Formats: sequence, C-alpha cells, structure tokens
Amino acid sequence: MARSSVQSTIVFEVLRRLTTAAGITIILSVVAVIVSAVVAGPFTLVNAIVTGGMWALLAVGLSLVFGVMNIPNFAHGEFFMVGTLVSYLVFTPLHKYLRQNPSSVLSTVAPFAGIFAALLVGALLGVVVEKLIFFQLRRRSREQWVMNSFLLTVGLSVVMINGHQLLWGTNFKGIPRYWDVKPIDLFGVNISMDRAVALGLAVVTIAIFWFFLMRTRTGRAIRAVAQDETGAQMVGIDLNRIQVLTMALSSALAAMAGASLLFMFPSYPTVGLKPLYVAWYVVILVGLGNVAGATIGGFLVALLQTLTSYFIGVGWEDVVPTALIILILLFKPSGLFGSEVKGVWEQ
Amino acid sequence: MLLEVKGLNAGYGFLQVLWDVSLYVAQGEFVALVGPNGAGKTTTLRTIAGLIPPRQGEIFFKGELISKLAAHKISQMGISFVSESLNLFTAMSVHENLLLGAYVVRDRQKQLETLDFVYHLFPRLKERRNQLAGTLSGGERKMLAIGRGMMSNPDLLLVDEPSLGLAPNLTLDVFNALETLRQQGVTILLVEQNVNTTLHITDRAYVLEQGRIALEGKSKELLENKHVKEAFLGM
Repeated sequence: MARSSVQSTIVFEVLRRLTTAAGITIILSVVAVIVSAVVAGPFTLVNAIVTGGMWALLAVGLSLVFGVMNIPNFAHGEFFMVGTLVSYLVFTPLHKYLRQNPSSVLSTVAPFAGIFAALLVGALLGVVVEKLIFFQLRRRSREQWVMNSFLLTVGLSVVMINGHQLLWGTNFKGIPRYWDVKPIDLFGVNISMDRAVALGLAVVTIAIFWFFLMRTRTGRAIRAVAQDETGAQMVGIDLNRIQVLTMALSSALAAMAGASLLFMFPSYPTVGLKPLYVAWYVVILVGLGNVAGATIGGFLVALLQTLTSYFIGVGWEDVVPTALIILILLFKPSGLFGSEVKGVWEQ
Repeated sequence: MLLEVKGLNAGYGFLQVLWDVSLYVAQGEFVALVGPNGAGKTTTLRTIAGLIPPRQGEIFFKGELISKLAAHKISQMGISFVSESLNLFTAMSVHENLLLGAYVVRDRQKQLETLDFVYHLFPRLKERRNQLAGTLSGGERKMLAIGRGMMSNPDLLLVDEPSLGLAPNLTLDVFNALETLRQQGVTILLVEQNVNTTLHITDRAYVLEQGRIALEGKSKELLENKHVKEAFLGM
C-alpha cells in the first residue's frame, strides 16, 4: 500500500515537472534531436554539441556574474575576444618555430599553451576590471546599481574593442586549425581534432566548475553571496574577495572559450559580439542567475541554431533565437527554468 | 569587558536613529535590549555587527576597536549576528546553511562537534537536514538562523527579535534554546519586544527609547520599575 502510493506520487511529480515550461522545452529538444539526427544526419548533432559546450562556458560565467554581483555584463564577449587574441599571439610563434623544428610532442602541447595563456590573461583581466571599475563604483554609490554597472560594461566593451583595433588592427588573426592530425570518425561523421578537444575542454571545465561551486568551501561562499549578501557577511565571508574571484572565473571561462574556438572565430576587434548575444540568449532563456540552467541552455541554443541554419537557412541563425527570446520575455519573463529573479540588493 | 559600546551615533542616510548609545556586555552575561518599535534596537545590533558604519562613537570587542572593521572581520573575531530577517541561504539545504555558519572555522573536527551540538539542540533541524532552507516553517527558520549563528563558536551572540511572527509555543522553544546556550557559557545580547518574558530570563537589560538609552539595570529590578510596568507590561 505505502509503496504503491509512494510510486504514484513519484509518477505524479514527474508528470507535473514535465508539463512545466522547462519540461516541455526539454521534451521538445529531445524530439528535435531525434528528428534532426534522422532527417539531417548526425553531423548536425555533433555541431550542436561542440558549439553548445562553448556557449555553456560563456553563459555560465555571465550568469554567475549577474547572480553574485548583480552586473549585467555586456563586456563578456570582449573577454572571449581577448581569449582568441592571446591564444593567437602565443600559438602562432610556437607554430612557426615547430615548423622549423618538428616535434610531435610539442605540436600536441602547443595549442594548450595558447589556451592556458588565454585562461590566465582572462582571469587577470577580470581581476583588473573588478578592482578598477566595479569596486570603485560600489564604494561610491549603490543606487541604480544594475543600470550603472550595465552602462559601465558597455563602455568597457567599447574601450576593449577599440583597444584591440588600435594595437593589433582590424585584420583577421586566425589559424586554420590547432592540431594537424586526421579527423576522428564518430557515427560516420568526421570531427576535427580541434572540435573534439573544444568539446572535451568545455565538458571537463564545466564539470570541475560545477564540483567547485557545489562542494568546496569557496564555491559554497560564492553561492551564499549570490543568495544573500548580508547573510554571507554575517557568517564571515569577505565580499570583496568573492567578487574578485567571481569576475576572474567568469572572464577566464569566456577567454578559454574564445581560445579553444580560435579555429572557428579568428581574432578581430568585434569577434566577441556574436558570442555575447548568444550568451545572453542562453541566460534569458533559462533565467538570470541560474548557473545550472545555463549549462543546459548553452546546448539548447546551439541545437536551435544548428537546426535553424540547416532547415531554414544560415541567415536565420540569429533571427529564430531572437524571436524566441521575445516570446519568452513576453510569456515567461523569469526564464524557462527560472523562479522569481531576485537581485542581491533588492531583497 | 567582552563588548563595550561608547557614545554610539548611527543611522541611515539623512535619518539618525541612535543618539549617544552606550552599553556593555560582560563575559557570560545574558543581556537584553528592549524598547518600543522604531526605538533603534535593530540598528544598534546591525551597527555592532558592522553592517552599518557608525557616525560617531566607538565599539570595543575583547578590548579591540571594531567599529571601523568590515562585517566579515567582525564575524571572524567571534560575534555572530542572528538578524530579524534571518538572512538564510534559502536555496541551500539546512546542512549547507549550517556548514556556511562555520565558514570561519578551519578545523574540520571542531566543525563536526559544533554541528552535533546544534543538531542536539534543535533535533528538528537534523530531521530536515537535506531540505532547502526556503521550505522550512517560520519556527524552523529561526532555529536554523540561531544554529547557523552558533556554528562559528562565537564569543558573543547577537539575537534580533527571535519571537517575531512565531506562535507562543514556538517562541517558548526558541527562548529555551537561548537559555541552554547561555548555560553552555555563551554570552548573548538579545533584542526583544516581548518585554515580560525577556526580563524574566535575562540578567541585565537596557531600555531603548527614541534612539537613546532610557533605563538600564538588573532585569529583576526593571520588572519592578514603574516606567517599565506602565510602558511595556501594561500594569
């Protein structure tokens, strides 16, 4: 008796969740995955998964910064740009050197040097931005914080784009590929090593990041600040430290995404705009400040884009997600997976 | 003297709430701060906890000046603040809230001991350890807030209106818990509107009226005071 009633409540709960907006979205995506794999061939899925991992990296950082610091970061794409640039500047000379002095071991490792350098520079830049800009604003005034910090990030984006143009010009600074090896064959689809590594990096990074947020003392402190800033101070958490760390992590993730996608996105001043918009699609889709949802959302948006460009046309790749965002904002303003959006300082 | 507040002025924006407030709490004491709504009781606690910068005056804790320190530093020095709005981490489990309470305690063994103590003090929290804090009832939330405050093994516990919004029997539970803590040697500064009960369980009390200390003395003596009887006890 008791057991069957437990089972029926579980069934009921599952049904209830499946009929929420999030449930419907996931069901629709699964259907879309199956249909596209059958109709268009498995390569659409592979594409969706590879770019999805990168969108997820970007969206997680964006979401974290909004959740912890209440900053709608419109300069997030510029950290992606910095990532592409740093990796290009580090990898190209290494590559030249390796063509003269071939070494298979070094050729395997060199791209990682570029990506790792991008990660470090991204983190460092995040620290500088937090210390020089947001910390200063926070100390002066917290009134109209969301609007003021938003304007600052837009300004920062302009400065970074023009800084790139001033110092390195507007030329495309790209590479055809990181690894000169044969593509991997998966379900009859050829996946280049670059794509495979990009996906692997995204998955591993998100897993580590997830573990860090959920299970470590510092990760817990980051979540605590996002949920209740005053409460966090009351238990002895140093807000400044968490804010610097959050900004550094978020920028590092964006820069890493840029670096590992250098073969797709050559570095030029405004290369960050598209990733920025996509990251915002994802964050609006799943709800602001929802880090877990951002991971799933990254893959959902990538799937949507891939399917749009295959079935409707490449030119529509940005139109369809944008239309979807408008619908979501109209009918479910707190996002598909969102509950009420609560700013840190408006509780 | 564990805590000493001297000539404190504080407030929000243009509004000054506290005027020349001085008080002290000795080691092991159970001291109450009572007074009508809007007298500045909460502001006093928030200022001590470092959440509001004082305009004038000094606050000493264990002989050190703390009135210029940030809130997290004050918490690290051994003052735990259980606020009126509780400031729980509502999307985290009861267990995680308690672990965060021990954020400044690096010693894992010590953390587990205190956790045991808190679960012993509030068995309800142990039953609900995996439940999200946001789904707890009002009484359980208060218990969790006090438990989280205890997790850092504070030398001084500041408790703001623990009886607010609670049913009478739950209020009694909370007061009993404070009594137990006090018997364990925890020093407590309690803010309450429930003047009668508060004066029965505390050692000393301050009466705050319109941002100034109007009366102070032994709780037993204040219970006999004519002004207190008329203003707060309805006699």
